Order: sequence, then C-alpha cells, then structure tokens
Amino acid sequence: MTLSTRSRPSAARRPRAGTAPTTGRRSRQARVGLLFVAPMLVLFTLFRLVPTAGAFLLSLTDYKLSGEWSFVGADNYTRLAHEDLFRESLLVTLTYVVVFVPMTVLLSLGTAMLLDRVVWGRGFFRGVFFLPYVTSIVLAAVIWKWIYDAEDGLLNGLLHLVHVGPFDFLGHSGSVLPSIAVTSAWKGFGYSMLILLAGLQSIPRSLDEAAMMDGANAWQRFRHITLPLLRPVLFFVLVIETIQAFQVFDAMYVMTGGGPVRSSYSLVYLLYDTGFKYFDFGYASAIGLTLFAVVLAVSLVQRRFVGRED
Amino acid sequence: MKPNLTRVTATLAVLATAGALTAACGSGSSDKSLTVWMYPVIADQAASRTYWQQIEKDFEAANSGLDLKIELQPWDNRDQKVATALSGGKGPDVVLLGPDQIPQYVQNGTLAPVDAAVADARSSFLPGALKALSVDGKLYAAPIYHTVTSTLYNKKLLDKAGIKKPPETWDEIRAAAPKLKAAGVATLDYSASPEASLNLNYYPLLWQAGGTVFSPDGKKAAFNSPAGVEALTFLVDLYKSGAIPKSALNNKNVLPDQALGKQQVAMGFTNVPAEVKTAGDAWGADNVVVGLPLRYRKQVGFGLPGGLGVNAKSKNKAKAEAFLRFMIAPERISGLTQASGFLSPRTDVKATGGDASTAKFTEALTYAYPGEPNAAARQVMSLLSAEIQAALTGKKQPKQALDDAAKQADDLLARQR
Repeated sequence: MTLSTRSRPSAARRPRAGTAPTTGRRSRQARVGLLFVAPMLVLFTLFRLVPTAGAFLLSLTDYKLSGEWSFVGADNYTRLAHEDLFRESLLVTLTYVVVFVPMTVLLSLGTAMLLDRVVWGRGFFRGVFFLPYVTSIVLAAVIWKWIYDAEDGLLNGLLHLVHVGPFDFLGHSGSVLPSIAVTSAWKGFGYSMLILLAGLQSIPRSLDEAAMMDGANAWQRFRHITLPLLRPVLFFVLVIETIQAFQVFDAMYVMTGGGPVRSSYSLVYLLYDTGFKYFDFGYASAIGLTLFAVVLAVSLVQRRFVGRED
Repeated sequence: MKPNLTRVTATLAVLATAGALTAACGSGSSDKSLTVWMYPVIADQAASRTYWQQIEKDFEAANSGLDLKIELQPWDNRDQKVATALSGGKGPDVVLLGPDQIPQYVQNGTLAPVDAAVADARSSFLPGALKALSVDGKLYAAPIYHTVTSTLYNKKLLDKAGIKKPPETWDEIRAAAPKLKAAGVATLDYSASPEASLNLNYYPLLWQAGGTVFSPDGKKAAFNSPAGVEALTFLVDLYKSGAIPKSALNNKNVLPDQALGKQQVAMGFTNVPAEVKTAGDAWGADNVVVGLPLRYRKQVGFGLPGGLGVNAKSKNKAKAEAFLRFMIAPERISGLTQASGFLSPRTDVKATGGDASTAKFTEALTYAYPGEPNAAARQVMSLLSAEIQAALTGKKQPKQALDDAAKQADDLLARQR
C-alpha cells in the first residue's frame, strides 16, 4: 500500500536533447499503463462518479416516485439549512465521530503495539482480534443490544455482582452514543489494527535499539520514533475511520432505531428515512451531497494536520 | 442492509435515471405474461411456494396462453423495493399492498384504481377493508386477507400475582400493575422504538380514548387532543411505575425479543394470531390466553386488510384485473386464510382454525380499525415516536410532547399540500 507519493527528481521530468527513443518508450509505457488502469477507471466512472453527478442533479429537483420531476434549484439545500432535524442529526453524527474515532484508533494502535511485541502466537491473536471485523454488523448489534439490556443484559448482570446499576445504556441520551461507538469499535478495530501492525513492523528495529542505548525510555521512543514513522499509516487509518464514523447507520438502526428522542439519529439515518421511507429523493440527495462535503472538509483538515510531510 | 453514502446516493441516482428513461415505457411484463409480487403472507416458506405455485397453475389453466409469474419477495425493505420498481416503470403488474402504503403511491401516480375488479363482490367484503384500501373514494387494492391484533395474556404470571380475571380495560390494567410488580413482573408490553409502527403501539390507545391521528380532512395533526394526552399519560404513568418495562424504549414489536416473550411482562395488547404459537412454545400452550382488544371509551384494536394493487404503468391491466377477480373469489380467500392463518376480508368466508384463540381473533375483527390513511402517515409516525420517547423518559410532559409533534406534523402536512 502506498500512502504517499514522493516527487521525482525534477531533472527526470525535464526533456533532454537526444532522448527521443527514451521519450517514445515512455509514451508506450504510459499507453500500456493506461490500458491496465482503464477497466478500473471505467468502472469507477460508471459506478462512482456518474451516480455522484446524478445525485447532485437529483438534489436540484423535486423528484416524484412516478418519475415526474421539476427543477427546484437550491431549494432542497435552503430547506436543509432551516431544518431542525438536519441540525440535530448533524450534531449526533459529529458527536459520534468525536467519540468513535479516537476510541477505535487508540484501540487499534494499542492492540497493534501489543501484537508487535508478541513473539509466540501472534498469528492466533491477530486472527482473534480480526474476527469481529468479518462478523455481520447486524449480528454484532443484536448481541450488543442484549449485552446492554436494561433488564437482563450481560453488562448489568456483571454490574449487579458488584452492587452497581442497573443502567439503561441505550435508553439514556448521554450513554447511547458511547454505547453504540463501543459496539462499532469492537466490530471494526481489527482492520485498522492490521494496517497499523504492518506499519509498525516496517519501522527498523535498529532505530528503537539505538534510542534505547542513548537512554530513551519507552514513552520517548514511542513519541519520537514510532509515532513520526507511523504517521502516514496513522493518517490513512484516521481518514478511513472518520469516513466510516460519518456513515454510521446500521448499528443505530438495529440497536436503538435512532432513539431515545433522536439521540442516535445520524445523518445517514435521516438520509435513509427521507429517501426510502418518505420518497423525498431530491431532498435525500441534498442530504447525501452535504454529508459528502462535510466528510471531504474534515478529511482535508486531517490531511493538513496529520498527513503533512515534514 | 448497510446503506453507506455511496450506495445510497447511487441508488437515488439510479432511481432518477430509471424513472426518466422509462417513464413512458410501461411495466416490465410482456403482453403474454403477468408478474405479481407476493410477500410471506404464508410464513412457512415451503408451504408458501406450494400455495402460490398452485395459484399460478390454476390461473393459467383458466386463462390459456397467459404466463403468470408470482415472485415471492421478502418483507425486508419492501417499501424501498416497491418504490424503486414502480418509479422505474419496471415493477410488477400486481403487487401486495397495505393501506398505509397506498396513499403515497396514489399521490405519486403509480397505482391504478381497481374498483372494476371487485364490482361484483363489493357487498361481500367487510366495509372497513374496502375503505382502508381506498383513496378519495376509489379502491386501489383488492382485499385478499385481513390481519387483526388483540390482547395476549400470560396466565402463569397473572396467577402468580393472584389475578384471576385478565385486565380488559385501562382501569383494570392500572389496578393490576401493583400486584404484578409485587410478583416481580411488569404489566403491559410496549414498543417505543422509532422503528416500531405506532399502529401497534400508541395509536390503538389513542383510538380507545376517542382520539384520532389526523383531522377529518387529513390536513392537520389531531393526536394532541385531550384524548391523545390521556393516552400518552396512561403510558407514561405505567412506564414510570415500572408497569411497562424499561426495554420498551428500544423494542420493535418482535415478540421473542421483548419482555412479553421472555415472560417479564404479563400482557400485550397488539398481538397477532401467529404469536399465539410463538408464545405457546415459550410459555407453554396452557399459559397463553387470547382476549379481545382493550377497552377505554371505545373498544378498538388495529387490524388491516392486505390487498392486490395494479401498477398504473402495467401493459396488462385487463389481465391484472382478471387476476384480482380470481384471487378474491371465496374459494381462494378461504384457501389463503387456511394457509396463512390470517382472517378473511369477506363476510361470506369464515376463518377455519376452530380453536379458542382463532375464535377470539375472529371476534376481535369486529373491533379492527385499519388506521387513518394519509400520504404523510409514516413521516408523522417518525416524528411522533421521538416525542413519545421524550415523554416516556421524562424529558417532556405528555401534553408538551404531543404539541411539539403536532407542530412538526402540521408543518409537514402543509408542505405536502
């Protein structure tokens, strides 16, 4: 996986006298290269770019189920700006991102660092930690819903042993998002863990050993060697997890239905209801495009602060 | 199930493209074939396949040269699939619909009236069934079965609390609650998840109190009436006292997952005939008691017909109507009633179960109310569900919660006019 592209030496880009055969070869190579990427390019255009452009056009219309439509300009976006429900679901989504992303990244990084140090049985533990990732989110959500159950849930059962609770984890607006975030983090951290583990294993041991000989403690080695060298991988993980967090829907749908009192009603949930329950396709597309803009903006900010190359 | 952003926007865009390209093209069937989308009305998959294959054979035998294709669809994402298909003009010629779906499709011009198909048998149907499937006086689906909900009691838990007569009214529920609490169980099962239909939760209580969801012209919310406040206060009081279990907030009307199924609560009030067996398996058949719908000012339970609607863009409307006439004949209704366990929408065809619970559900049909059809019904449910949760969790008083929901509903209804 290549996470950053190094620029070639400028001399290599400059044409020099007497290099016509080289230029021709390069041109041929470029054509061959284009041929190789063409299928992916076509598929990407057909199934990603065209639908996105279509959704943008749709967001400028009042589109009815019968196929009738009328151009409404920016009306759907104006309506968004004045809709309380949109603001509420945006706030829920942002709160979820703030809770979920650090939790998942820290969990992934922590387990990756542990696995990096494990010599015996690393493959086994890697498999065990990765297992939830290949589990269906619906199944995971159903199980965690039972774990959190206010009456006979596993968690409250354990708390009862120490005379604490019971707590209605999914029934309180303050605890519902962290509870769902824990479920999603448990389900998804294995993927990021593997990427971070690969990143950790690519850091030369000699650097760590040299710092140790210079008297650096564990925190100093982590802070000044591991973290800077891991930054490209960490940036990738951060972006992926942030995008996933912005798109949260399934766990909320299964565990809470967006409640209590819309405390877990995310933007994608609003989009889903608007498009597929109320058939307000133009407005749903406007929500989708706005979410896209928010995710893009956050990713650019992350790139500015985490993904920069020193 | 996971509608990530790209997939959702892609689906929306495909919808638009499909609609634009095929708006004038008609349905996907050829002149010689008729496509029907049917759902698991018969829960057992093998029995369902056998039943509908026989229907195909019988109808084709009666209509030579015609190829009837009954496609069995899952209940999951039903609206999404029907909407996408009808929008793209590629949908089935005939589709199974419920009353709550019809107003939106009629508003969008995707359904054709079917009055002609039932003209000869009109007087044989329950008037409520025909009314429920009509919009502005026109019938948009021919009824082929009728669902009904009623009370379901766990006799073992009632006995444990020393309650000899199952609670049949709001007052009796209030009186039973402390006794059941002393016996360590809750009283009334409830589903307050926003994904649970209010037709199976708050609305029956609202109707029992004498209220309605919408004003008579359907243009204003009416659930914040004194009757509505009374119904919500009844719920909130029970919830606060523990007579409705705390898990109600996230329940979605799935019996085995709920406190009623797990024997933590003594009664449900919107249970369907199929749940008698589910409850019997969990509690023991002797402990399952079916009653009539709850009584307060009125005795009302939710129950609605399922009907066959015709795609407005179907190229085979005449044949589609012939299929509807075939399906509403007494022998077919009787067969479907037997196979599905649902009740008959025809007064001249009776349910065939013969046991006490079937008899009780048949009696409950007298009190069945199909709800109030409105194109914005589902949106209103969504916003009202959130406010009901606010009242249950003590964030708002019942009156305030209903007023807030009514304000949002009125805005929504005004926007749709």
